[in-house]
Amino acid sequence: MSGIVLFFFYGSILICIIASVVRMTKYARAPLHLRWELYRGSSVYELTDWWDRSPPRFGEKLRVVILDILFLREFYHRNRSLWYFLFLFHIGLYLLFLWHLWLLITAVTLPFESAWTGGLAFGHVATLLSLIGGSGILIKRIVDKELSVHYPRIHYLKWVLILLILLGGFLAVVFHFDSNLPELLGYVKAQVTFQDMELKLHPALAPASHVFFVSFWLLYLPFSHVLQISFRYYQHLRWDDVPNRQGSTIERKVKGHLDRPISWAAPHIKSGKRWGEVIGDTEDL
Amino acid sequence: MGKTKVSDISRAGDEQLLELTSLDWMTLPCPSDQPLSIRPLPDEQRSQIEHSLDGISALGIPKPTSKGEEDGLVQSFLNGLRKLLSHDDNWTFWQPLVYSLESCVKCQTCSDACPIYLSSGKQEIYRPTYRGEVLRRIINKYIKKGGRISSKLKGEEIDLNWPTVARLAELAYRCTLCRRCAQWCPLGVDNALISREIRKLFSQELGIAPKELHDFGTIQQLSKGSSTGMTPVAFRDSIEFMEEEIEEITGRRIEIPIDKEGADILLLHNAGEFLSWPDNTEAFAIIFDALGISWTLSSDLAGYDSVNYGVWYDDVQLARIVLTHAEVANKLKVQKILIGECGHAHKTLLVIADRILTGELNIPRESALPLLEDAVCNGRIKLDPSRNDFPVTLHDPCNLVRLTGIVEPQRRIVRKICPQFREMEPHGVENYCCGGGSGFAIMSSRNFPDWKMTVSGRMKFKQVLDAFQDVGDPEAERYVCAPCSNCKGQLRDLLSYYQAREKHSVFYGGLAELIVNAMVDLEQPFIQWEWH
Repeated sequence: MSGIVLFFFYGSILICIIASVVRMTKYARAPLHLRWELYRGSSVYELTDWWDRSPPRFGEKLRVVILDILFLREFYHRNRSLWYFLFLFHIGLYLLFLWHLWLLITAVTLPFESAWTGGLAFGHVATLLSLIGGSGILIKRIVDKELSVHYPRIHYLKWVLILLILLGGFLAVVFHFDSNLPELLGYVKAQVTFQDMELKLHPALAPASHVFFVSFWLLYLPFSHVLQISFRYYQHLRWDDVPNRQGSTIERKVKGHLDRPISWAAPHIKSGKRWGEVIGDTEDL
Repeated sequence: MGKTKVSDISRAGDEQLLELTSLDWMTLPCPSDQPLSIRPLPDEQRSQIEHSLDGISALGIPKPTSKGEEDGLVQSFLNGLRKLLSHDDNWTFWQPLVYSLESCVKCQTCSDACPIYLSSGKQEIYRPTYRGEVLRRIINKYIKKGGRISSKLKGEEIDLNWPTVARLAELAYRCTLCRRCAQWCPLGVDNALISREIRKLFSQELGIAPKELHDFGTIQQLSKGSSTGMTPVAFRDSIEFMEEEIEEITGRRIEIPIDKEGADILLLHNAGEFLSWPDNTEAFAIIFDALGISWTLSSDLAGYDSVNYGVWYDDVQLARIVLTHAEVANKLKVQKILIGECGHAHKTLLVIADRILTGELNIPRESALPLLEDAVCNGRIKLDPSRNDFPVTLHDPCNLVRLTGIVEPQRRIVRKICPQFREMEPHGVENYCCGGGSGFAIMSSRNFPDWKMTVSGRMKFKQVLDAFQDVGDPEAERYVCAPCSNCKGQLRDLLSYYQAREKHSVFYGGLAELIVNAMVDLEQPFIQWEWH
């Protein structure tokens, strides 16, 4: 393997970060759009003089977002049969993330012997949950005709890759590290602190395979739907109800948009002018 | 015919992707379960007009006469697609559009939410994700760098040719933009917005839009004053007629103020009310008189017509009408605009216009429903609910309820004044579209009306029948309350098509009419049960 896995792993982290930043920047720079939100129930428009009322608080919105992401509530209500596996998979992933965080912190801050002994079991449970969920999703995607509609071939490979990562990690811990927590923590510490370059350049097959598949996943991650979950809220599908007041930032942005050039070619649009000029001109219609 | 694939949209020739047959459609309760058919286009139209999607023509797109013309149209489509993805040309909807194109995980949760897909017997081309997938593949293959290779790798087959473009244009008008699919989507993908953006591309780049929405719709409204063709003079005449009718009913002369400068409220009605349902306008006048409100109507250009068909197909026309409405209110120096029973006027003026109007034109705008609720529920007018002692159900106009969040005021009113009120199932923000949304209610060219009665309106008709199934007496009058002019138009046509008045004694009307019908001051019932 020499240093290929090492190079690939750190390279994939770098590419993942850069691509994620580029993608997030693309969304963050999106122009303020016309309001188009949907409502789950009553809105401020049920009130007289609604423009004097305060919009929902940030804390309330944040609570809904966290509950939605954590429990996939929309899937629970709208697509229960898929939710069972999705939930297992995601809750497993969240736990795996916490487990990896615990591994990293423990490896560099504590003597290995005093580490929490339940740590390994925690990791195994998290992996198992994700494996069951991921396998269930893949099987459903294959056998359920409704779920295969428009589903790109390449996405089946994505699920295989994820399952390989999970399985590879599990096998590496059980067989390569012999379920020995101090040994695992020592390996993690060497990885994080760049202590043992020999180990890095010539890794054992089991951890190398796991790292190799993870690297592939890191390359894919910025282009996946994961990043977009947060943009669901960012694009204001639910809460875009801050009124445009005179002199506000929103008004300033709207004025800026009305000064943008417009080039649509249909006869009723006088192309080559600014938006504000075009929509203000109805003379020759 | 096998299951239609996305790539089938590129199939050459006139062969339809779908042959509509009532055998596939969702079953209706007896005696409305008789097989119905959609009239095929006459041979002359079939030879001249694009119809290869499903045999229906909403747009009447002429067939190109040469290969050169076809190529030019395809190129225009691509140009428009690039503009759809540009910040300058599409700042209005770039973000939700791109998000929706990039975020669909193909879980098909939205399919179970779409009344058209369900009513049609789950036809693939009507699946909410179908047209989005077509657009996504075209963008991936023809707009993005290296698209041809990546499309091949991903197995996303599609060819961009004239049949693709022509079918996609028609397909954008097989969705009512009710956005129930977006409400259902766990990731917030808005396939209805994708339909709208396709419509917009065709209108703003190729000049292709239904005549009822563009030529006779927004253009006529901005040039003559109303999408109905009603001129200011005709408007004044109709108001005079209404004042006489009010006098006949109430025994009192109630003046309907027009162009009263400095009034507190400018009331904007859908002009359809003046022409087809004047009793709704009269009811508002009687209620406002009883409340002693300072209000006025406007006879200015577009000032007597709250509609804004631009919201369904064209951002430029949308913004032009929004500005015109605001200028009318500004000129009259009113304190606020009040929107009558018109769903899409609510969505447009209350919500969307907020990102178009600036400075002094950003006049406070509000729904009339909270005011009506206050009048009814806080005892500001004397009402006798026993006058409305007949079965009433409530339709939830998508634009008013799911898209603007006005859910409860109308419910609190009918609960208070209609002893036999019953909800439709589902109701509130989960209710189904009437089938006439996004302009369908007024689109009546060629064989499109057959489609909107048999397919897009099918779910609503079933809901209406189900809501009244417990009413034993077949002669008992049943009232579908629809606080939206477009929905009323669709219900009128739908109930007539299925002969629901004759077979099931189902009548329809607005909300204000129910309120006035319960007013104790009136000696005779306001609702006359006359079909119009």
